[in-house]
Amino acid sequence: MPRPAAWAAWVAWTSKSRLANAKCWRKPRVSGAFFLPKRDAQHISSLHSPLPQESGTGQGERDMHNQGNAAHIFLPEIEDTVFEGSHGRLVFEFHGNARDYFRIWIVNVALSIITLGLYSAWASVRTRRYMYANTALGGSRFEYLAEPIPILRGRLLAAAIVALLALAPHVSMRLLAACIGVMGLLMPWFIVKGMLFRARYSAWRGVNFRFDDDYVGAYKWYLVIYAVMAVLALVAMKLLITNGHQIVAALLIMIGVSVFQFMIYPWVRGKQQQWMAEQHYFGGKAFRFRFDPKVYRRIYRRVLGIYILSAIPAAILVFEIQRTLGWTPAELHQHPLTVKALSYLYAGPINLAIWAYIRVRMTNALYNHTSIGPYQLESSLSYGEMLRIYFTNAAAIICTLGLATPWAVIRVARYRAEHLRLEGSGSLDEFVQTSSRRARVSALGSEVDSLLGFDIGL
Amino acid sequence: MVRGEYLDGRSTRIRQVQVMLEGDQLSWRGDGVQGAALLVQVNVSARMTGVPFTLRLPHGAQLQIDYDDMPADWFRGRNRIESLVDWLERKRWAALASVLAIGLGLIGWLEYGMPWMADRVAARMPQRMDVAMGQQTLVLMRGRMLLPSQVPAERQAHLQALFDRFSRNVAGLPAVHLAIYDSPSIGANAFALPDGTVVFTDAILKALPDDRSFLAVAAHELGHLAHHHQMREVMRHVGSTLMISLAFGDVTSLSGVSAALPTFLLNNHYSRAFEADADDFAFKTLAQQSVDPIAFADAMHALEQAHPGEAGGGEVRYMSNHPLTEERIEKAQAASHQFQLGRH
Repeated sequence: MPRPAAWAAWVAWTSKSRLANAKCWRKPRVSGAFFLPKRDAQHISSLHSPLPQESGTGQGERDMHNQGNAAHIFLPEIEDTVFEGSHGRLVFEFHGNARDYFRIWIVNVALSIITLGLYSAWASVRTRRYMYANTALGGSRFEYLAEPIPILRGRLLAAAIVALLALAPHVSMRLLAACIGVMGLLMPWFIVKGMLFRARYSAWRGVNFRFDDDYVGAYKWYLVIYAVMAVLALVAMKLLITNGHQIVAALLIMIGVSVFQFMIYPWVRGKQQQWMAEQHYFGGKAFRFRFDPKVYRRIYRRVLGIYILSAIPAAILVFEIQRTLGWTPAELHQHPLTVKALSYLYAGPINLAIWAYIRVRMTNALYNHTSIGPYQLESSLSYGEMLRIYFTNAAAIICTLGLATPWAVIRVARYRAEHLRLEGSGSLDEFVQTSSRRARVSALGSEVDSLLGFDIGL
Repeated sequence: MVRGEYLDGRSTRIRQVQVMLEGDQLSWRGDGVQGAALLVQVNVSARMTGVPFTLRLPHGAQLQIDYDDMPADWFRGRNRIESLVDWLERKRWAALASVLAIGLGLIGWLEYGMPWMADRVAARMPQRMDVAMGQQTLVLMRGRMLLPSQVPAERQAHLQALFDRFSRNVAGLPAVHLAIYDSPSIGANAFALPDGTVVFTDAILKALPDDRSFLAVAAHELGHLAHHHQMREVMRHVGSTLMISLAFGDVTSLSGVSAALPTFLLNNHYSRAFEADADDFAFKTLAQQSVDPIAFADAMHALEQAHPGEAGGGEVRYMSNHPLTEERIEKAQAASHQFQLGRH
């Protein structure tokens, strides 16, 4: 994606101060997104104290070394000099291809439809197995071990919940409110169950992941925190509206909303990520997470910028179409369906741009602050590149009536795997499962949250 | 003898081994480990293109053998269902047949299967639920969208009597009654609620030229009530929501935006069928009570003038939830023709 030179210069200027302590060995993998990964790299080196150890380099020495090389930061060969040999074992690779996956996917979708959805549990196990088994770390593939029958059971229950939620608003608003209330109360529980299931049935080199079933933490970060925020907001609103000057009240509300949007909400999202990462274990070692609220504040600050930047071209496009059609506002009123189509045209790209931004940055934030044992995860997804992938995927899926879905899924998986790696000097041989307890976990949670689309921030 | 990787199931250390099959005994050796197990005690993962085989050994350890290295005759007859699926996945014709099956399956299921099931479920719903649904809509709309009518009391009484006499002679109706409201936001329109309330707005009463065209509109709304269209429509909405969320459930990207449009189109498609059904009901009942169905066409013409442009031919057929006006008028004219023939 070509970027204006002025913009690139601006990014270079704003990143300059950060580059001083950025890691110098990173090779820009995507030429179009030359600068963006640098800023992510800064999170790790400046915030994460147990830095990945290159052989024989002390902390002070390394800092000097980094600063000394800051000017040559874009030289790709630096990577080769720093990681001698061992780095080849620590990369994630994706081996899947669209042709094989298309055949697997299409047959399984067809069987699901023919069996009125019953086979879908087997189908999802098979397609997930393909995706897991084609993702490799250090040359070894991941494994998806779930059984179809528990998934089917979970799916049937999730379908009943969806049906109830779809029916409730037609019958009575009170019923709907009750359903949503009950679902809200159960949501943290579903989240824990979902994570338990996914971790339990994901394995690498014969050792499965583990998720600690910390229900207290889940309720704290996915229910109580929202309830507290809602109560505080209501109390503040009430105080402001009942006794106060109107303009002052409006100003205070604006300040309150910005504090929420740019300070509190990012902090909550970060804490949720921390909780999620720290409950995970692999081979007797816990994942560790270094929480830094600044990262999340920056993400949500920029979301506003992305919104404005994407709303302008979308608005111009829609305005131009409306002008070409030559309708007055009164005439527009008479074409409700065209207006609906135009509103999709306007909102679709904006939503995609914002959704992709949050997803890319949150994924980077999660991995770049997560470590396990002596290994530090590192994700360098570039927003521009991911946005391009998502946009072309969306266009391809729409144009092929869904037949391009496998190709789209493979592209995203490949890009994500190529931009994820472990940093550390070990050979990944030292993970040892401490408890041999391998209890079965019900698939209820994982099916409910994938069907209802809870945003659990992973 | 094939190459494999031995993992003890406790640590992440890989040991390169040679795996052999002698009779019914599987054995492995190399890199400091060796062992053997009966083939029947080894659990093997199902075959899938490009995916390595995992052989789960009795004591928690496992062997991994690359997809291309696995001899075809080991573990024959295991994972029967998945082996069949795998065989299909490797055939080009199966992929083509799947595309066809998905297309036909979706059309058949959306057009016949799901509506059929939704109708069965709707028929089993208690009457209480219809009443609750109707009451809730009225409560939500009254005072906001539905304001007290400005139509003079004697005209209201006249229409009420006309409506009651007409509906009394229609077979298969639940308890129905007429309600008249002033509604600037809705405009010239009429609708039926599942509890049996038929709502006319002041604007439509003003637009309709005579009593016969009023009866024509009323007959259309009674058609919705006689055939339980609202409950059936709700059940179809639930069905389509369920199907679409199942279909998009796995794909987290974009599902919000992309699922909204098919849901909308699908629900519109079902509504259209119900509208056409209510029209047919109206033609039939009008004729039964000796009202020429041409009154329906008159009502359509009058409404078209009240809402210029909206009912015009500009909209795409599938996007429109009422059948196109010209089409409805033509059908009314055909019904009228039949009615005239029957009289002579």
